[in-house]
Amino acid sequence: MNGILKTAKNCRHYAMCKIDFLGSGVCASGLEKHFVSYYPQGRMILYEALAENKIPVTEKCVEIADSCNLCGKCDYQCYFLNEMRPVTVMEALKKHVEDYIKNGGKIKIAKEDSLLTEIRNIVGFNWATNDEAITATYSHDLSAISNPKFPDYVVLPITKEEIASLVKLFNRNKIKYTIRGNGQNLLGFAINDGAIIDLNRMKTIEFDEKNWLVKVGPGITAFDLQKQAQKRGYRINAAEPAALLCANIMCSGIMSTFSTTYGINADNFINAEFVDNKGDLFNLNEVSSPNLFSYKNLQHKDSPGICVSADIRLHPVTDDECGILVPFETLDNALDFIKDCSVRHIGLALGVVGAEYISTFLSPTKKMASEIKSIFVEKLNIPWLVVFIGDKYAIRAINEMGFPYFDQNLFNSLYLGLPSLKSAQWLDLIKELSDDEPYSYLKLKSFQELLETALSPSPKLYSQEVDPALRPFFEKLFSRPEMTDLVWLNMYRIMSSRLGRKKPFLPSLIYLPIDKTLINEFSDKFRLIAEKYQIENDFGFITPIDSGKRCIFEYDFFYDYNDPDSIQRIRQVATEANMLIDDYSVKTGTVKGHPYVLYQGFCRKENLLYS
Amino acid sequence: MSDNIKSAKALTGATGFLGSHLMASLLSNGYSIVILGRSTKDERLHERIFRLLHWFGIESLVNQITCVEADLTKDNLGIEDEEYSRLCSIVDSVIHCASDTSFAESKREKVMAANIGGLKGILEFSKHANIDIFHYISTAYAAGTGETYCREVPSIAKTFTNVYEESKAGAEKIISLFCEKNSIKLSIIRPSIVYGDSRTGRSIKFNALYFPVHSMQSIKDIYLKDLNINGGKKASIHGIHIDKDGYLFLPLKIYLHGKGSINLIPVDYFVNAALKIIENCPKSGIFNLTTNSPTTFETLAEYNEQFMKVRGVVIGYGKPSDNTLRNPAEELFDRFIVPYRPYLADNRRFDRTNTDLATDNLNPPEFTYEIFKTCMEYAIGVNWGASIFTIK
Ligand SMILES: Cc1cc2nc3c(=O)[nH]c(=O)nc-3n(C[C@H](O)[C@H](O)[C@H](O)COP(=O)(O)OP(=O)(O)OC[C@H]3O[C@@H](n4cnc5c(N)ncnc54)[C@H](O)[C@@H]3O)c2cc1C
Ligand SMILES: NC(=O)c1ccc[n+]([C@@H]2O[C@H](COP(=O)([O-])OP(=O)(O)OC[C@H]3O[C@@H](n4cnc5c(N)ncnc54)[C@H](OP(=O)(O)O)[C@@H]3O)[C@@H](O)[C@H]2O)c1
Ligand code: SF4
Repeated sequence: MNGILKTAKNCRHYAMCKIDFLGSGVCASGLEKHFVSYYPQGRMILYEALAENKIPVTEKCVEIADSCNLCGKCDYQCYFLNEMRPVTVMEALKKHVEDYIKNGGKIKIAKEDSLLTEIRNIVGFNWATNDEAITATYSHDLSAISNPKFPDYVVLPITKEEIASLVKLFNRNKIKYTIRGNGQNLLGFAINDGAIIDLNRMKTIEFDEKNWLVKVGPGITAFDLQKQAQKRGYRINAAEPAALLCANIMCSGIMSTFSTTYGINADNFINAEFVDNKGDLFNLNEVSSPNLFSYKNLQHKDSPGICVSADIRLHPVTDDECGILVPFETLDNALDFIKDCSVRHIGLALGVVGAEYISTFLSPTKKMASEIKSIFVEKLNIPWLVVFIGDKYAIRAINEMGFPYFDQNLFNSLYLGLPSLKSAQWLDLIKELSDDEPYSYLKLKSFQELLETALSPSPKLYSQEVDPALRPFFEKLFSRPEMTDLVWLNMYRIMSSRLGRKKPFLPSLIYLPIDKTLINEFSDKFRLIAEKYQIENDFGFITPIDSGKRCIFEYDFFYDYNDPDSIQRIRQVATEANMLIDDYSVKTGTVKGHPYVLYQGFCRKENLLYS
Repeated sequence: MSDNIKSAKALTGATGFLGSHLMASLLSNGYSIVILGRSTKDERLHERIFRLLHWFGIESLVNQITCVEADLTKDNLGIEDEEYSRLCSIVDSVIHCASDTSFAESKREKVMAANIGGLKGILEFSKHANIDIFHYISTAYAAGTGETYCREVPSIAKTFTNVYEESKAGAEKIISLFCEKNSIKLSIIRPSIVYGDSRTGRSIKFNALYFPVHSMQSIKDIYLKDLNINGGKKASIHGIHIDKDGYLFLPLKIYLHGKGSINLIPVDYFVNAALKIIENCPKSGIFNLTTNSPTTFETLAEYNEQFMKVRGVVIGYGKPSDNTLRNPAEELFDRFIVPYRPYLADNRRFDRTNTDLATDNLNPPEFTYEIFKTCMEYAIGVNWGASIFTIK
């Protein structure tokens, strides 16, 4: 496989190229055309399909290739996340199409059938198609567990009325339809044959500040809403930044490190509107509506319909919020800490992460991540960290509790000084220095100055590690304060975005009590399952919820998209991991597996956690 | 090793600094050794030992060794019955050198478990093997902090600098009682602070003497980097600069609790003296392996200045007052040397009557600049131990 095709085939389908998370802009044609096909992610899939002769060169294919102006924005985004440079693919796509035309190749024009005509009558000509270049780009979502499926039609409605009409049309014609947000779910739920209804044009945002809510259309991403909310001085509970909010509530219930305070599932919204499976509208707060606040411990529950808007809760923000990282020698100690904090309501957002997670996030490249991971574990003696966001009173409480921590300034120095850390010999002494009291070096009054002196942190230094062609951009990027601001990185959930860089991963998510024995048992057993199938694996994160009565635990399994054997093995791992969760669910009565939340994300958390 | 002849010495702690040197010396003198030790998660015991033999350049003597995975806290040392009986039948003496050498109070439980809890197995083994003599490698500081002249007698100390010293004194007592009860001869060998080989500088451990020097080197590196790469932005705040003669001027006031000195002996002396005691010990006894001419910290500071090409170090006595401003280098250095501070200005003197008798007046060499330099050059060459087994 040549390097370009390899890049295309390694697109993580993570939809991050659809949001402006680096402030460098988003692919202009995508913003104009809305189909995923016109975003870098779509072009990656399209190039793969053409290069492997899965589809012919079609009318839309030419349009998609032409509409890329090789601006390079996707290089920045994709390199930040995955250390890949998709522009090579974009160039290859354009060349493939140009050469085809130059060599007299015939361009296939998709034929409009009668159903497509009816669909177009509802949504307008431009917003529905059966062109293979488009349908190919909807044949994948993020999950590689499911087999790609080409839909017959892709439709982009803009109003709930259009959606209602579409549902009725598809029901009448016995056509399967599948809703697609940004295709970021983990199990292939956004692909199917039949019709795909892509909600990306439905981008309305209406703030109702006096009622602390914002009504969003189903095409709004967590990132875009958070940006708007932040501008007005609020915060929403946002999970994956590129996930559409309605999709996220629908599919998994929104959970983030802020769920410690803001909650999960029904805690995140006030009301929502739906088009049901017959094409009729209902409003969640009406007495006669289906009770989506209930929860049934059932996998593959049917979808109650299409969520066409949600009133998302707004949260107040104070100007003294800041982030700290509290290091721990053992997972048990970290768990004790987060439990204590959440029972006492200290802190806004809390998450235990391992060295893999933190080094992956901090490092601009895979190579550096693995070097940094060993420095964290072996030299700094930091196998575990708690990411903690709180106001000045919360930070004062941590001081009083006596835990040494990396404050925002130390974090800045550590982050932007990372390249110097690799060669810092004085680290050997730091570990001995901690012998009597772990991490006591953090209590040195002048540690900040020493760290700055020793690491010479700067955006320039940090950028030395990246591809030379991208250095000027990264230097500018890391001069922006938010890129190292723990609060910003967490509330926009940029902190976890690089986790799939080494390899795509499949997380196992569980709700369970903050019980050290139970969590260690799960970790051990997940590891054993993964090892049985030679699948790389690691601890993901743990976030306490509901006053420390429960937590969310993610364990990650890494696999290779393009290796059928690896996919086969990850499927077996997923099956056994789910069986393990089921066993514990029955055995303990307190453990719930996340897959069961599918289509039940609107439920009350109490019904999910305690029934 | 030939079976069923009582000719082997059992040695614990052979993977450590002093134990490995003792092992090498015993092997070179033709002894057979049963090594009671443990594997790590990455390396089996015999691999660890072989790596050390290689470091000493005596791989050819491997046949004189039997490596046995042993857990000192378990009955029969956690060894299978048959093997345990076989070992009992060949071992004629025990050298107990294993010890948790951490000073940290937070590690109290672990230190006590190893140094006191770990005695049970090795003492029971000594009884079962019906050994002739038990050699316990203790420390000169088992004498405690109350004494100014530490005699070669059982310790009656009540106060200690740290949990390590306390555990060593406690262990001496337990071992003495046990040996007395079971009519086993006992030699308690009490070295002071051991550094590398005085002739070659070679060592496998770089704590104690090395730690302040290593700390100084780290601080120097931090500021040199600032001076070379950042134009000394941070260094200049504290008056740190490079003098015309290339020396780094680093104002650093080190506070000691008073005047005193450090009692240092090289590992080659430790080995030679211990071997003489092991070979010649006619009756039970306590032996201080110490020097009669300890080195002052002031001398060490001079050596360090010359070696590191760093000046500006000033020694103060007593405690800095609460409003004394400490610059970052001082604060870091203060913190680095916390565990070793009590040993840097010590006024204890050590009786050596038994030692002189047993070792034919073998004395450690004076700690000269040449020895300091040789040892530090070796330490830096192996990156303070980080690359010790890759560079021979
Ligand atoms: C790496 C990774 C980490 C993740 N971590 C988290 C996390 O920490 N917290 C968290 O909350 N989630 C997490 N998720 C889950 C994921 O972000 C959400 O499940 C979210 O749904 C994805 O949004 P999407 O827009 O991509 O939805 P899609 O994948 O397009 O759709 C998800 C499902 O919902 C259906 N659907 C979409 N929109 C609607 C609608 N409006 N009405 C009805 N049905 C609809 C789709 O048919 C599909 O079944 C993670 C996912 C990934 C890949
Ligand atoms: N070095 C000095 O300056 C000095 C001075 C005075 C006295 N001493 C004494 O000399 C002896 C050796 O010291 P050292 O400097 O050589 O120490 P060291 O390098 O730290 O080695 C310690 C040895 O003890 C073993 N050990 C530690 N904990 C153990 C446990 N729980 N169970 C079994 N084995 C254990 C270690 O085995 P692993 O390798 O498997 O961990 C290692 O072999 C000690 O008794 C010490 O008190 C040393
Ligand atoms: S290079 Fe092409 S695909 Fe990438 S962002 Fe620019 S226009 Fe979009």
